Amino acid sequence: MSTHPSPISIIPCTIYFTITKQISLLSPSSNSMASPSSISVAPVKVQELSVYEMNERDRSSPAFLKLSQKSTNSLGDLVPFTNKIYTGDLQKRIGITAGLCILIQNVPEKKGDRYEAVYSFYFGDYGHITVQGQYLTYADTYLAVTGGTGIFEGVSGQVKLQQLIFPFKLFYTFYLKGIPDLPQELLGQAVAPSPTVEPTAAAKACEPGSTIANYTQ
Amino acid sequence: MAAFSSSTSSSLLKPAFISSSPKLSAQSILPFRVSNPLPRRGLNMITTSATTTTVTTSFSCKSQSSPPDSQTRDQVQQLCVYEINERDRGSPAYLRLSQKSVNSLGDLVPFSNKIYTGDLQKRVGITAGLCVLIQNVPEKKGDRYEATFSFYFGDYGHICVQGQYLTYEDTYLAVTGGSGIFEGVYGQVKLQQLIFPFKLFYTFYLKGIPDLPEELLGAAVAPSPAVEPTAAAKACEPGATILNYTQ
Repeated sequence: MSTHPSPISIIPCTIYFTITKQISLLSPSSNSMASPSSISVAPVKVQELSVYEMNERDRSSPAFLKLSQKSTNSLGDLVPFTNKIYTGDLQKRIGITAGLCILIQNVPEKKGDRYEAVYSFYFGDYGHITVQGQYLTYADTYLAVTGGTGIFEGVSGQVKLQQLIFPFKLFYTFYLKGIPDLPQELLGQAVAPSPTVEPTAAAKACEPGSTIANYTQ
Repeated sequence: MAAFSSSTSSSLLKPAFISSSPKLSAQSILPFRVSNPLPRRGLNMITTSATTTTVTTSFSCKSQSSPPDSQTRDQVQQLCVYEINERDRGSPAYLRLSQKSVNSLGDLVPFSNKIYTGDLQKRVGITAGLCVLIQNVPEKKGDRYEATFSFYFGDYGHICVQGQYLTYEDTYLAVTGGSGIFEGVYGQVKLQQLIFPFKLFYTFYLKGIPDLPEELLGAAVAPSPAVEPTAAAKACEPGATILNYTQ
């Protein structure tokens, strides 16, 4: 290991190369890392996960706190919220979202608002995913996946937010890295997003077989 | 819940497999955090040039770490911390913005408490953040909050977390990031309430950072409602705090 070449010469090749070499020196038997040029670490797997968020108006949400005390939406207004979430195929109730939207500015030319959103998706016994990013009431956005617990522990990536009916129906596509393969029941073929989609009656009623284990309430 | 390779005895052992390799690499490689296990995210940046739908090798199915060298990558370090509200920080500030008599969505609770090492020997710093009340849970005689806050460790840096805080049971929060020695950290943290809302015990399961300093890893005092920091730690006497403990 002390025969490692001078670090200075490696830097221009990006730090990554150096790290690869480091690994190969440490565990020569672990993988086919012949040389820095053959980065034999496999591409990182991205798993897509689709989720529908529905405001069924039974959670007193959202709570629009007009702390700016101005007539138009203004910086100072805060919007805690919590809605229900369902699998992408709308067959099973998963749990809830919970968090805070911080109004940043009203955007009159788009007839909407910019929020900074910080919230979590709770997946019952599976754990949760935390996200943060911009929520624009007038356009789709991407939020950062900042972490998770349970099966999502250590997760990274991003999530695409698509509004179907503002603010009652949203469709999310998560692009997740760094976690084991997701369970099949979360990966059913997603119903194509549109304003009229609805969960199955059984899922809305949280009947046995139409929820995940200990779906978050 | 978290898989970790170190022993699980009550004392906080550093992972036994700490080989000399991180230190060796420190001599020969670059100044940036060389003793660190390979930053997982650093790998991601490089490999995204490959298609994101490429089938991976088997390691991605087994564990959360990307590189095939499993030892340093899967290293989970446990860190225990006590959070204590000594009622001298004006905390919590319960903002009843819902204007309802029962705790309701709309109520916000900024807070800040003191934190001590798990062995209760040293004052570490503070927590600081916000609890967003999500719903009252009458059948459990408690509430659900969404909590977003940080743990400040003086000169060492800080750890930020986010997740559910249920006043009636233990929960896990996500570790969303960190600074200083915690830069690049990921993982989760278990929250145990000892006395609501004055004493809490946290067990962090941290990945992606260099070995934690010994003074944070003393054998944790077993959590119970009666635990107290040493008088010296409470008084922040020299030797009973970490360097520039956060105030």
